[in-house]
Amino acid sequence: MAVETAMKGARKARPRKTVPMIDWLTRWSFMMPAIVILLAVLAYPILYTLEISFSSLDLGSFTANEWVGWENYGDVLKDRGFWNAMKVTGIYLAWAMPIQMILGFGIAYLINAEWKGRGVVRALFLIPMVVAPVVAGGIWRMMLDPLWGLVNYLLGLLGLGNPDWLGNPTLAMATLVIIDTWRWTPFVVLIATAALMALPKDVFEAADIDGANWWTKLWSITVPLLVPIIAATFVVRWLGAVKMFDIALAATRGGPGDATNVINLYIYEQAFRSLRFAESAAMAVIVLVMTMMLTGLFLIGTRKLEDNY
Amino acid sequence: MKIRIHELLAGAALAGALSFGLSAHAEGLGTPDDPVEIHMLANEAFANQWQQNMVPEFNKAYPNIKVVIDGVPYSELLAKSLLDATGPDPRYDILIADDPWVPQLAEAGVLLDLKGDEVAGWTADDYEWDDFYAAPLAASEWKDVQYGVPLRSNLLLMFVNKSIYEAADLPAPTPELTWEDYLEQAPKLVMDRDGNGQADTWAIDTYFTRDALTPTIWQTIMNSNGGKLLTDDGKAAFNDETGVEALKTHIKLLDFAPPGAVSHGFNESLQAFRQGQTATMFMWGSVFKGTAVSPETTTLTPDEVGIQIMPVGSKTGGAHRGIWSGTINNKSENRQAAWALLEWLSSKEGEQWHANTLGVFPARKSTLDSTPDSEWMAPVFVALKNGYSVAGEGGMWRPRTPKSDAVQQVLADEVARAIAGQITPEEALDTAADRVNDVLN
Amino acid sequence: MTAATLPGYRKRKRVGRQVRIWAGVALCVLFLFPVFWMVLSSFKLPRDIFTTPPVLFFDPTLETYISYMQRADISRRMVNTVTVATGSGLLSIVAGAMAGYALARIRIKGAATLGVLILMSRGVPPIALAVPMFLVARKLGLTDKHITLILAYCTFLIPYVMWLMRGFFKGLPKELEEAALLDGCSRYGAFFKIIVPISLPGLLSTLIFSVILAWEELLFALVLTNRNASTIPVAIAGIAGDTVNGANWGALTAVGTLTVVPVVIFALLVQKWLIKGLAEGATKG
Repeated sequence: MAVETAMKGARKARPRKTVPMIDWLTRWSFMMPAIVILLAVLAYPILYTLEISFSSLDLGSFTANEWVGWENYGDVLKDRGFWNAMKVTGIYLAWAMPIQMILGFGIAYLINAEWKGRGVVRALFLIPMVVAPVVAGGIWRMMLDPLWGLVNYLLGLLGLGNPDWLGNPTLAMATLVIIDTWRWTPFVVLIATAALMALPKDVFEAADIDGANWWTKLWSITVPLLVPIIAATFVVRWLGAVKMFDIALAATRGGPGDATNVINLYIYEQAFRSLRFAESAAMAVIVLVMTMMLTGLFLIGTRKLEDNY
Repeated sequence: MKIRIHELLAGAALAGALSFGLSAHAEGLGTPDDPVEIHMLANEAFANQWQQNMVPEFNKAYPNIKVVIDGVPYSELLAKSLLDATGPDPRYDILIADDPWVPQLAEAGVLLDLKGDEVAGWTADDYEWDDFYAAPLAASEWKDVQYGVPLRSNLLLMFVNKSIYEAADLPAPTPELTWEDYLEQAPKLVMDRDGNGQADTWAIDTYFTRDALTPTIWQTIMNSNGGKLLTDDGKAAFNDETGVEALKTHIKLLDFAPPGAVSHGFNESLQAFRQGQTATMFMWGSVFKGTAVSPETTTLTPDEVGIQIMPVGSKTGGAHRGIWSGTINNKSENRQAAWALLEWLSSKEGEQWHANTLGVFPARKSTLDSTPDSEWMAPVFVALKNGYSVAGEGGMWRPRTPKSDAVQQVLADEVARAIAGQITPEEALDTAADRVNDVLN
Repeated sequence: MTAATLPGYRKRKRVGRQVRIWAGVALCVLFLFPVFWMVLSSFKLPRDIFTTPPVLFFDPTLETYISYMQRADISRRMVNTVTVATGSGLLSIVAGAMAGYALARIRIKGAATLGVLILMSRGVPPIALAVPMFLVARKLGLTDKHITLILAYCTFLIPYVMWLMRGFFKGLPKELEEAALLDGCSRYGAFFKIIVPISLPGLLSTLIFSVILAWEELLFALVLTNRNASTIPVAIAGIAGDTVNGANWGALTAVGTLTVVPVVIFALLVQKWLIKGLAEGATKG
């Protein structure tokens, strides 16, 4: 192979340790664009949020009025709505994340075949994600409504009753998970397909020649090779799912009652509907800290997995 | 000296940013050579209609004032208005404020006193403030200062499908209909009209979902029974027997509503009524045209759709107020031109043009006493006149406080939980009262 | 492996391939059904959308498309959406992929911590960012500008691209760029000439997702723009929240359909390019 010959030929071609400073700069320069952009755009908003979470906000100027210490945090922690939203978010994540990951990688593995229509199928799979959340939520509402919805009409024809998908608190949560899974499973499928395409083919050919069955190939070759990307997809999807509120807003409006009022919807309402920006900032900080801790746990888990394989 | 980190950061960022030229603002009403440009922030739902139809008409009277209207979706409009208005160089001269927003904007110190000396000097002598009904004008008043004029008036009213009442052998409702009558008739309006063994017609659909406007139904029932939202010194007053009974009535309506109504709100109840599936609907009057007149949006005709105030309680009938008022940013450099637009649109002539051409509801006695160009509007005018007086009598509006939206959101949260059956009406209102008192403290 | 078992193995593989293809098509149809319903509804008159029972056959109308396409703000917002989505997509794929590569392959002291911090910045609730971003933009006179929205979108796209690409790069055999480096290639040379071409599937998929995430973003667009840079999601939110006539579902589904089309075309083009690139890569290898 070309790469191998290049390696052999180049072994002693160049002395090590050129100019350490330049090398150091080159290394860091890979990180720099991201760091500069994020620092420029994110630093102020995060500091602002921190500041007003400890202050009362002057709505006449949107600046911090006076330092109130932990008062906003105290208010938030004794707010029943906040705790309910945390619980609801937990339930939603506990269902949506595993379903989407397993379904996503499963489907990708199942449909992984080379054929002419593959590109088209991949492009079509994107569509659920592209439909604006407001429209997507509304379409599902339309299809699931007991009065004029298609789903219940078909269920009725089959004699399966007339479930109130959006009006029953438990079903509404299921509906939210279904819609979110519909929207985001294709994302996992496509990342997984891209990862499967990039897998080195020679390993599989070697396994075929050794007579390995598909199960062995899956567990001893595919999964280990996919671990980094599975972990990355999980973390990225997790950080996206934590922030989900648009679908809840469009499909269930957080209801019935407060059964689907996820935390980011609650924070959004506190800020934009109730104009309680200081309290919402405190909530945002709490959510950020909790998200960071959980993400940290996932990353440690990821590293363990990556090291094991 | 105390320097905040974020100010340093902003300053550093500023250094690298584009500088923008300060343009000289044309004063007054503009001249052909030097026209004035004013900007308005409005609800996306009518911004386009105004830009296309209202502005050209205005320009016939004021050709040198260019008007640019930006639309923002309703649920973000207040936050957006505040964010812009509180800046040192606000973009918008005119802010269009919903009924409960004027106290919030006024308290932020951004609104111009429209009855003050400056504006009075620009106002035509024949601009009659007293010609407005008191209730709609009061929507843009706060602490005895008039900050706005009613531009698009609206009331929560009762829509009636007369054909369904006829099919149920019931007399079509009149404004004298009481809640007892209504609830007694409601079961008879749930019918199986095509005879396939399943109900296909229901008595009612309205706001039941988790939404800031859902409590307005409960509030109106409570108000028409003499109940109050807040005490005069701004404490929760709704968690009494009247409030609880009203909420129970609101919840009881679900028994006569279509399946799935617990998650229905503005759009769904509108659809059900327009499809001829519900006999009544408690809804904003402004939807009348799309519900009874326009064949592309409705299956009903003006003859079979009645509109009137909501049923009568122990004190009055019901009609919850919802007025869109025009207000002016007091930092605007085009205050005179901005007022010219508001004055024109809310004047007797402007309002009549507005009602007759665009079908927008008026607030002036003179307009409501005139004969509208469109025949379908005549019964609406009757309902509006009736509604303005009962709304004024019963204080039927959302809380008048600078924290209005926060209070309304609390009510929405707790009322929704009661409607979904997660807690009892008593618990809901007690919890809401505690939270409202916290917010108002 | 003997010659005798080969044909049987090939046949099994061929059958498996058929199953895979049909499963893919079936799943695609299943996932697309709500979209089909959306497209169907966009050709209905408003009064035909909410009927009991729902109708499959109706008098199709192009009215909603015509009336909404004539509205100047829809085409302006479409152009803005394309500009902002591609701008932020490209900017973040460059910055994010480089950072992802640095995290996966270049050993830098402190970079891993920094990378994790960048990733975690994605956990900030967007509502908390929108208002202060607006305040900064206002101070700088940058409200209602495309660049403001592009930079705002980078805040959630860069961490996302960085982390996904880190995953893809980690899966590549290390020997690849080690060889190139030893061969006298600079780090940039190794990255752009060796790593980027071989990671194209991942890069392009990530780019498509970035564009999509920016394409449908609503909250920042609502807060940071007024008119000149306003995007389609804002228009959609406005139609859905129509407090005068009720949500016009004909218009919503029509505008919804219109926004899907460009992204699907973009994705198809990228796919074509991707497969072509892969084929070329394969022949070279």
